[in-house]
Amino acid sequence: MAKTQRSFLSLSALFNVRNTVIVLCLILMGWLGAAFALDHKTIFLPGVTSNGHLLLEASCASCHEGFKPVSNETCMRCHEAEMATDAHGPKKFRDLRWAAELEKLEVLTCTTCHNEHVHMFGRGVHLKPDLCMICHEGIIQGELASHKGFSPDGCWTAGCHNFHDHRSISTGFLRQNMGQADMLPKPALPTRSIQPELTAPPQPDLGKEFIGGRA
Amino acid sequence: MKQLVLGGLLVLVLWSGWPDSAVAVDQAQLQSINQSWSQSAHALANVNCSSCHQNNSAKQVIQQPTHESCRSCHEAQVDTFLLGKHGIRLLEGQPALTPALAHLPMQAAAHDKQMNCNACHDVHSVKTLPASVDSCLTCHQDTHSLNYKNSRHAQLLREEGALPRPSTASTTCATCHLPRQTSASGTVMVNHKNTYTLLPRDRMVKEVCMNCHGMEFAYNSIFDDDLVESNFARPPTLSMDTLKMVRALEKQRSGNSTSE
Repeated sequence: MAKTQRSFLSLSALFNVRNTVIVLCLILMGWLGAAFALDHKTIFLPGVTSNGHLLLEASCASCHEGFKPVSNETCMRCHEAEMATDAHGPKKFRDLRWAAELEKLEVLTCTTCHNEHVHMFGRGVHLKPDLCMICHEGIIQGELASHKGFSPDGCWTAGCHNFHDHRSISTGFLRQNMGQADMLPKPALPTRSIQPELTAPPQPDLGKEFIGGRA
Repeated sequence: MKQLVLGGLLVLVLWSGWPDSAVAVDQAQLQSINQSWSQSAHALANVNCSSCHQNNSAKQVIQQPTHESCRSCHEAQVDTFLLGKHGIRLLEGQPALTPALAHLPMQAAAHDKQMNCNACHDVHSVKTLPASVDSCLTCHQDTHSLNYKNSRHAQLLREEGALPRPSTASTTCATCHLPRQTSASGTVMVNHKNTYTLLPRDRMVKEVCMNCHGMEFAYNSIFDDDLVESNFARPPTLSMDTLKMVRALEKQRSGNSTSE
């Protein structure tokens, strides 16, 4: 008697576990299906979206084409202006002196350093701030006397170097503009002026169409 | 079920006609719109009601023109707007950005304001001066924004008095965050990609600060977090190591060249 009861109990327990799993799976599938159907895509996000992309995080197709890896072209749809003079771009690595460095870190692919939905260390970079050391370690180890003993994670976090854009923070630019007065002699902002086509405003050509609703 | 039906009905009503009837105006409102338009740069440029409010081919009246309508003349401005945080959701087919979605502190009263051209620009008076400070402060209420009014930059703007548009002598929110740029063809446009000069900070230095300020003054200001927070309420006190190093290098090089 006792034996049959035990086997019955264990059978029902197995039965219950199986049922529970099935029910849970169904609920999960229903939930995901509903989210997909109702366009609540944020539940599919694998992690926290960076501040830069937060506003379009529900628009998966902005960056993703199915499950393919995000391509440079996708990034450049929006970031072309910022990358106009990329100091670590294809041009640099066509030079045989630097070509082999790409094997250490494939910096011609945006997502090598700029992943998304993962922890960022500032500037949308998910690699640790000492990433420059992968290629430039010699600089702080004595190759450049002025930088000997510098902290390996300070290149960009201290505001001294910009990986992509050397237009305004490079030794050349800083040397060239050293010793300027606090206020430059004359503000050099571009002026906007308007050349009016008419000397007097014309009569408005619509009006009654807007009164009281649809035309 | 009942809720679903009601919800569906509401969506249908909104879709079919509510926004249109919502913009209906009475005679007095129309008169005031005509008044501000007739004094605007648009009127003198022969941009009439129908330029924006009428469909070119079908001659159908458009009650609420969108950024597409503005784009037919202001292409570069709209294109850059769509790439910045204010416009990116429109570009990606999402509902327009509202301050409620922002992470920065925003004015509660503006939480539901939709970010399109009209959000910052009064489309009928088309004065760019209010769009350069007042419009920003309608939504933004972080410390940096709120401190603008106490800054030397704001004082310069006040001293200039009434202007048709921001001059080159005054510094507004837009001067730094939506900077004027000269294109290759020589036309001056306002870059509406509001994130362009934001980060990294050295981009602001070259694109904006150095239009008026020396390089060292600019760098020592922009990398001082407290000074940025105060909206540049005082001259910089920071002395960046990177500038000291470049100065030392310069000294060393000129020393070498004189001894040679």
